[in-house]
Amino acid sequence: MPREIITLQVGQCGNQIGMEFWKQLCLEHGINKDGILEDFATQGGDRKDVFFYQADDQHYIPRALLIDLEPRVINGIQNSEYRNLYNHENIFVSDHGGGAGNNWASGYHQGKGVEEDIMDMIDREADGSDSLEGFVLCHSIAGGTGSGMGSYLLETLNDRYSKKLVQTYSVFPNQMETSDVVVQPYNSLLTLKRLTLNADCVVVLDNTALNRIAVERLHLSNPTFAQTNSLVSTVMSASTTTLRYPGYMNNDLVGLLASLIPTPRCHFLMTGYTPLTVERQTKNIMVSSYARTKEASQAKYISILNIIQGEVDPTQVHESLQRIRERKLVNFIEWGPASIQVALSRKSPYVQTSHRVGHYFVSGLMLASHTSIRHLFSKCLSQYEKLRKKQAFLDNYRKFPMFADNDLSEFDESRDIIESLVDEYKACESPDYIKWGMEDPDHVLTGEGNASGTVDPKLAGLKISGCRFKTEVEKVDIYRKDLFIVVDYILNFGFFLCGISADFPSPFEVSRGGELRKSRRLIVCSWEIRCLACIPHR
Amino acid sequence: MEEEDQQKIPDLIKELVLRLLSQNPTSDSQLLNPKSPSFHKHLRYALRILSARLRPSIAPDSAAIAESIKRRLVTQGKSSQALTFSELYTLFDSKTGLGSVNNKWAVLHLLDIVSEDRRSTAGQLDSPLLLPNLALGDAESGDNDSWVLRRRVKDKGWSNGVLLVAKDPENARDVAFREFANLVKEENEVSEEVLVRDVLYACQGIDGNYVKFDSSSDGYVLSDSIKVPRATGIMVRKLCELGWLFRKVKGYVSESMDRFPAEDVGTVGQAFCAALQDELSDYYKLLAVLEAQSMNRIPLVSDSASSGNYLSLRRLSVWFAEPMVKMRLMAVLVDKCKVLKGGAMAGAIHLLAQHGDPMVQEFMRRLLRRVCSPLFEMVRSWVLEGELEDIFAEFFVVSQSVKAESLWREGYMLHPGMLPSFISQSLAQRILRTGKSINFLRVCCDDRGWAESATEAAAAAGTSTRRGGLGYGKTDALDSLVDEAAKRIDKHLLDVMYNRYKFKEHCLAIKRYLLLGQGDFVQYLMDIVGPQLSEPANTISSFQLAGLLETAIRASNAQYDDPDILDRLRVKMMPHGTGDRGWDVFSLEYDARVPLDTVFTESVMAKYLRIFNFLWKLRRVEHALIGAWKTMKPNCITSNSFTKLQQAVKLQLLSTLRRCQVLWDEMNHFVTNLQYYIMFEVLEVSWSNLSNEMEVAKDLDDLLAAHEKYLNSIVEKSLLGESSQLLYKSLFVLFDLILQFRSHADRLYEGIYELQARSESALPSQDKSKSRKQRNATSSEPGSWISEGRKALTQRANEFLQSMGQDLDAISKEYSSLLENFISQLPVQQHVDLKFLLFRLDFTEFYSQQHPRS
Ligand SMILES: Nc1nc2c(ncn2[C@@H]2O[C@H](COP(=O)(O)OP(=O)(O)OP(=O)(O)O)[C@@H](O)[C@H]2O)c(=O)[nH]1
Ligand SMILES: [Mg+2]
Repeated sequence: MPREIITLQVGQCGNQIGMEFWKQLCLEHGINKDGILEDFATQGGDRKDVFFYQADDQHYIPRALLIDLEPRVINGIQNSEYRNLYNHENIFVSDHGGGAGNNWASGYHQGKGVEEDIMDMIDREADGSDSLEGFVLCHSIAGGTGSGMGSYLLETLNDRYSKKLVQTYSVFPNQMETSDVVVQPYNSLLTLKRLTLNADCVVVLDNTALNRIAVERLHLSNPTFAQTNSLVSTVMSASTTTLRYPGYMNNDLVGLLASLIPTPRCHFLMTGYTPLTVERQTKNIMVSSYARTKEASQAKYISILNIIQGEVDPTQVHESLQRIRERKLVNFIEWGPASIQVALSRKSPYVQTSHRVGHYFVSGLMLASHTSIRHLFSKCLSQYEKLRKKQAFLDNYRKFPMFADNDLSEFDESRDIIESLVDEYKACESPDYIKWGMEDPDHVLTGEGNASGTVDPKLAGLKISGCRFKTEVEKVDIYRKDLFIVVDYILNFGFFLCGISADFPSPFEVSRGGELRKSRRLIVCSWEIRCLACIPHR
Repeated sequence: MEEEDQQKIPDLIKELVLRLLSQNPTSDSQLLNPKSPSFHKHLRYALRILSARLRPSIAPDSAAIAESIKRRLVTQGKSSQALTFSELYTLFDSKTGLGSVNNKWAVLHLLDIVSEDRRSTAGQLDSPLLLPNLALGDAESGDNDSWVLRRRVKDKGWSNGVLLVAKDPENARDVAFREFANLVKEENEVSEEVLVRDVLYACQGIDGNYVKFDSSSDGYVLSDSIKVPRATGIMVRKLCELGWLFRKVKGYVSESMDRFPAEDVGTVGQAFCAALQDELSDYYKLLAVLEAQSMNRIPLVSDSASSGNYLSLRRLSVWFAEPMVKMRLMAVLVDKCKVLKGGAMAGAIHLLAQHGDPMVQEFMRRLLRRVCSPLFEMVRSWVLEGELEDIFAEFFVVSQSVKAESLWREGYMLHPGMLPSFISQSLAQRILRTGKSINFLRVCCDDRGWAESATEAAAAAGTSTRRGGLGYGKTDALDSLVDEAAKRIDKHLLDVMYNRYKFKEHCLAIKRYLLLGQGDFVQYLMDIVGPQLSEPANTISSFQLAGLLETAIRASNAQYDDPDILDRLRVKMMPHGTGDRGWDVFSLEYDARVPLDTVFTESVMAKYLRIFNFLWKLRRVEHALIGAWKTMKPNCITSNSFTKLQQAVKLQLLSTLRRCQVLWDEMNHFVTNLQYYIMFEVLEVSWSNLSNEMEVAKDLDDLLAAHEKYLNSIVEKSLLGESSQLLYKSLFVLFDLILQFRSHADRLYEGIYELQARSESALPSQDKSKSRKQRNATSSEPGSWISEGRKALTQRANEFLQSMGQDLDAISKEYSSLLENFISQLPVQQHVDLKFLLFRLDFTEFYSQQHPRS
């Protein structure tokens, strides 16, 4: 009863990050490109059967479904060196192969058409597991297949496997490059509705942040998807380590998620990771910090789980937590008790890392529910509003049954839901969350509240001249403080692979030697918060 | 030249003899005739003296002699002469080479003696001191012509005197002496010789003619009938003390020898007797000599000669001085040791040996060496072979037959009474442990490798594995032997425990299974035995549970564990009373087996059991909370908008759900953080301490102590200790409340599901574009809410939510007060780690701000 997890990778993006994820898992479990267990991989202690099933003694096959409406990416996989890894019966490519053309409605509609085929595959896969824990969906929310068909699958899964968990790794579009997909605000909005209603947990991966990290921190002038995807796969594999290397706690997905998601709606997770590498080529270990603007200080953590991998002395945990609390670096919700959870997990013995933190080989992943994520949704809403006002590109959608007869109520409903999501996150920042929505029921249920759909007015009008950094960290020698540093780093300086945090400039860089020094670029412009003058706190 | 010298010497001697004889005024002309035979006799005698190897009792060091002469001159006030002498001596001394004097010191000595002689016989021509034996030789030769001799013989009939006291035979003193002798004879019925002999008898424990043992006064007494001066009587009594002492010692020795081998004598006692016997035989020798001397007549006081091999009582008391001390010691020892044996005896003797008199010290040391040798032999064979050859129960280590599992703790003990004080407590402990280790290895570990270590130890300590080497007074040797042996044996024992019996692995296995460290295993076990355990305890088959345990092992990563370890893991059903559920009696146990059961004793396992029960309960509560989360998870239908419900009901629903979620969050926060606390602050910290202590453990006792500490720290920190009973109780009340909450939440959600279904079928969806599949299970049930219409539905919903909400509020209130109570107790706990728990629970100061305390 290994609490199996079935991975559904949908669309170009879904399949590409999925492939990276499987590469990483194979590496960590000592499984070769053909799914055969390497001779050296005898150390045990790991659970392969959560994500793989065994065809025979030595042969492991990912519990993965590869789904796309166009053949290009999947063909690529089938022609790659990993072609023998996957179960060929689990690959679904639409017959006509035309894709969804970046149209959510098309993807959704096509999804309905092939539902039976796909559900057959899912059922078969589910039957093959002893105690299925749930599904993981990898997709992008901006395109057509990943978003539209993904949305359809989410609804279907929610219906048919209502007792099972559904987690998604959802790639948000890069909002710096508007040319990417013109209709992405529509697609995103429609997908976000499903992510809100039909998923149990959404790990937000923001291409804006991923690119920024790659450009600014890893000094890649023109990051490719392969490069950003390796960041993604690192995070994905790290967030599953406690499932794959069982310890005292957090051994199943539901246990992991339950504590992270106390309020059902607020199930969008941010991730932070340190140290970062690209394609297993060690770059400088760098950290980014987000400034503690007034706005940021209003944002609060609903929950934090730090998964520390590697040889960490468990007796250090308390000390590091104590220091974090002493320095009041983290704002938590006020309507209930909260704390930083730290899970220690083993690291794969087969993967060499060249990062040393203190005298340990350690890496840390943070999974957090943070109210600032609402800005990402606000952004989606505002972009949607812009397009919608212009009535742009709506014809593409009207072609499909859901929007037939100019019935655009789906858009409106989605918008309402996202708005109420934003409101709920905002409400979480207040100590009166429990009473929120009660005094003014319409606020929630009719969606009349903050309907502007634009950036929070407070935020928009913000003129921050002297935002302050908590810079005691300046002097911290990262060789000295071991675990504390890891926890602290990922908390305060770790890359946030979703929009908000990475938008803030980093005043710090850590050079290869691990020395922490102050960056000279103290004034950096951010697209959302204009002109941040970052003055070190003294 | 040489020959010439040698020729010269006899001539010189002849001249010297002539000179001496002629000085004697009484010597006749015949004597002075060098050709007369009597002169020749004197000459021969002189030659004989000179050629004899007589040496003066003085170091042949001219400087020293000169110095002493000089000093004497100075003390006599002749400092100017001393100065002159010293100048002359320097001259004399500096003369070397041909013609100088060879034996300078001899010349000086001669001159010194001559001058000394001059002074003492000043004014006397006769100088017998200078060459007294010329005259003696005369006497020996039986030459009756010598007037000196003639006179002496006539006066005293004494032939061996040196002193010539008087020239007048009619001396008045002589007369007085004679009168005194007669008086003495009158006073004493028995002569002193007889008394001396009687005393000597008495001192051998034999009654004499007059001195007899009197049992009423417990001593040798002179019979009353005999008239002796008081002083003599006292002296006799004093001397006879030796006899009394002897009787005692001898009596003890022979008694012990007769009894041997009886238990109350023992080998040490035997050695003691043997040593006493030896001392006694020395004593016998002395007595034999004295007895011989006692045959000589005691000269009268008037007899001028004072030396001679006779024994008087007074002389006897001198002779007896040393034996008296020894005998007294022995008697004291005998007294002290009569009831003692073995180590106690050695210890008692040792205590008496602490004496300032070197003679006594030496005597006691000799005795102790003998007495202790069996003891040391026992130590040696115990420490190197683990043998306890102690048939007379003399050793300070005692054994008792016990089961293998308690061999280490109870099998061997120190017997404090048998521990002589010259072996320190710590050394004794080490001795005890070393032999115990060997026996433990032999009996419990089935090990033979220790013999090698013992041999090495013996070699390293420089003591052969055979006897000898050790002994009283050689504490260093004993120390180093024990050290070497302990070091090696203990190390060997630890090696065996670690490597062959995999102590650490078993500790880890216990941590994994009994302390629930193997999370995936625990989860599956919880999943599959959960339904069973909800049944009444008496309906549960432990056989079935064992099967489920097996399944959980196979389903989890436990399957890769060592089969030997898995084999030891069992289901244990605790005794149950009526009304107990499976949850109350289910537990796991770990069969440690010999020799590990020495560490994991029954009481230790009982502690593990308590910890297991606590952790298991905690897990069950966690499990329940996760289960509750699953029913209210984000994508469940209830989380979605209830567009079709009336506003007021919607609001009520929303409020109830929110309260339920927030309460869940609070409970989950508590349980999760308690779990984290248990994992990091309790289990991992304790484990890391144990690991460190295991590294430095030098012997099994260290290991046991380390494990004990580990276990106790877990017990204490998980609130299972004595001091936190109150806390523990309130914790369990909290747990039960959480379980209650879970079933409540389940009911709430069930109700909402139903409401949802009813409302959907009662008010068919107008939204045709929705592609959601309708649940067909909830079509129409007669007599249910649908038939009653929308209004009734709303009312029913309202009622339901209201009552659920009230229940929730009640639980929430109770939870708050319980938790507040629990948290308020944390800071008062002595255990500092409980503050860590508080720290975690109140990480965001949620509670401390809610209920600010002064
Ligand atoms: N991080 C990352 N983002 C990707 C990747 N591939 C595509 N995207 C993003 O995904 C969005 C486009 O969606 P796609 O996944 O290409 O579209 P699709 O799901 O295949 O749907 P159609 O192509 O329209 O049928 C854009 O925002 C891209 O930036 C990838 O490999 N990594
Ligand atoms: Mg595509």
